[in-house]
Amino acid sequence: MSDAILRRVRPEQFREFILLFVTVGLLLFFASQIPNYFDPRSVNRLTTGLAITLVVAVGQVLVVLTRNIDLSVSSMVGLTAYVVGTILTRVEGMHPLVAAALAMAIGLALGAINGLIVAYGKVPAIIATLGTLALYRVVLVEFSGAKTVTTADLPDWLNDVPSATLASAGGYDLRLMVGIALLVAILGQLTLRYLPFGRRLYAIGSNPEAARTAGLPVQRDVFTAFALSGTLSGLAGFMFLVRFGNITVTAAQGLELQVVAAVVVGGVNIFGGSGSMVGALLGVLMIETLQQSLLRWAGISEFVKDAILGLLILVAVTADTIILGRLREMWVRVRRRDHARAQVAIADEGGVAHGA
Amino acid sequence: MNVNVKTRRFLTGVMCAGLLAANIGGVTLAQTPVAGSPVAGEAVTAEPGQDVKMMLLPKFLGILPFDQANQGAQEAAEELGNPTPFDFVGPTAENSVAGQIEFVTNAPAGGYDVVMLSNNSGDQIVPSAVAAQEAGTRVVTWDSPIPTGEGESLFVAQVDFDETGQVMADMALSILGEDGGQFAILSASPDAANQNAWIAAMESALEDPKYDNLELLEIVYGDDQSERSYEQAQALISKHPDMELIMAPTSVGIVSAAKAVQDEGLCDEIKVSGLGVPAEMLEYTQNGCAPEFALWSFVDLGYLTYYVSYLLATGAIEGVEGETFVAGRLGEYEITKDPTRPDVDALRVLMGPFTVYNIDNVEEAAG
Repeated sequence: MSDAILRRVRPEQFREFILLFVTVGLLLFFASQIPNYFDPRSVNRLTTGLAITLVVAVGQVLVVLTRNIDLSVSSMVGLTAYVVGTILTRVEGMHPLVAAALAMAIGLALGAINGLIVAYGKVPAIIATLGTLALYRVVLVEFSGAKTVTTADLPDWLNDVPSATLASAGGYDLRLMVGIALLVAILGQLTLRYLPFGRRLYAIGSNPEAARTAGLPVQRDVFTAFALSGTLSGLAGFMFLVRFGNITVTAAQGLELQVVAAVVVGGVNIFGGSGSMVGALLGVLMIETLQQSLLRWAGISEFVKDAILGLLILVAVTADTIILGRLREMWVRVRRRDHARAQVAIADEGGVAHGA
Repeated sequence: MNVNVKTRRFLTGVMCAGLLAANIGGVTLAQTPVAGSPVAGEAVTAEPGQDVKMMLLPKFLGILPFDQANQGAQEAAEELGNPTPFDFVGPTAENSVAGQIEFVTNAPAGGYDVVMLSNNSGDQIVPSAVAAQEAGTRVVTWDSPIPTGEGESLFVAQVDFDETGQVMADMALSILGEDGGQFAILSASPDAANQNAWIAAMESALEDPKYDNLELLEIVYGDDQSERSYEQAQALISKHPDMELIMAPTSVGIVSAAKAVQDEGLCDEIKVSGLGVPAEMLEYTQNGCAPEFALWSFVDLGYLTYYVSYLLATGAIEGVEGETFVAGRLGEYEITKDPTRPDVDALRVLMGPFTVYNIDNVEEAAG
């Protein structure tokens, strides 16, 4: 039977399935440990927590596919949240959509700087974005003059957005923020799947040299990927402002690791060329579930939690690699056997034909 | 061990004074005790216009209380007419511990006479603080001390740490009422010496039978990051359905907790209290999420710390027990042994007092 399945799907397609399986397993485990785990309020809190990470992760996938990485996302999120927050406290009556557009424009500008340095300056992405990670944070510290943006100074509509709900069933809400994040992920998946730009990202990541020789606009596409990652970080910055209200200079610090972890756990190859938004979505789901659940798990000390999180990520990635490797071997074996049988069949048919 | 520390202190004092004598015209080691000798009841006043290079080093940059301390220190610097403006520098919150150690380590080489430190590094700061003292740079702590007192000239305490615990216990009692209830503590980082001391003081205050009905569920840490504090508050709400109060002895934690409770629409069931800045808490006090919280003036704390540091660096006071001095508009203070660190040989200047804010006075204080 497994042979039959293996004839139909490639091993890589199993990966998302395995991830889903592991995440469901984790959910069941925590449900057995934490009372009221599936209670609507808890679930709503958990899903709302996903939204910001998911939006940033979608941008990260675009970059990672091209065999690059964007480590500056957390500083872009923090800087955008702070700047837009400050503007909102000074400018009366700004429309929410204008504020969101402004956030994305700021993110676009920051992302474009990354893109210029990496695509046209030929600086390795890990170094370039490590630099801008620090740089954007310092800009924030200087810009802020050590002040905090507090909810008290922000317009009232910002207080209503976090609990704004698109749809609701039996107490389980689809919050506006989650809806936006899912929409972003869907648009991302469609881009990767159907737009020439999306297909080119795979080509560039699989083999940059070949892509260049084939005449693909490699520099421009890498630049665009970074610019989009910045734009989405800007959007996430706006969501961050809406969700947490109180913005200090440390806003979103450490988010880059969470996003990279989610993307890698989600099966996006860190060396470029393979991965999908569905995988990233599952990766974010798993990492956030872990993080939020560990916070709520009474049986465990505060200090051990980070260690457990790290360990579980390692286990997840290792298990994924091993299982995937095994599957690929089986897949190759089945294919070979089928191929051999087909050869024999052809030979037999040939023989019969001759004999007749 | 104790003798060792004392000897080292003495030596540092001598070296420091020597260095200053070289730096500051007119003030010599021989004259200093005459000018500033602590005759009982006679408080030392500062002589303005002397040149002292100072560094104000908060736990990290970017939150309102430390900015207010900076304002207070600026005010004192102007009053005292120190020709060298002090440097307000600090690490980012994430890098707080390593960053602070780096600043203190490099302070002597930077020519600083005094580092005014709100210590976030526990005793990890000791080697660099001791080295700084030996190189002639005074280390005056404020807001949060060095737990063992090693390498610290003296500590400018905002309020009595035991009183902080008492005030928090009393606010919990006044919010939860006579019949009591369950509450949790949302703190800053697990290393923060001041928060840890306040929590310990609160726990011992709770032993009084008056507080028998208050049940402390657990202590969680939000690392003074608003998103982490927010998520911790949410997790507390999920974990403890019967919890009625979150006590957050940190200005970042208390607003984040208040926002989390408000976003959940649970302000009627769960209250937030602790230590907060009135300007940031105004909304939550007015809508009933955080009916009562407390704080001291960080502006005054910065002002007093600057005065003490200036007096020490100019040799007007030596930083020994029993000395009294005048700190500008705040009046007279005395250097005493630090009763909140009884096991070590540490000195303290106590500022005080606490202000408890509620609906009646929060708006005025918010400005």
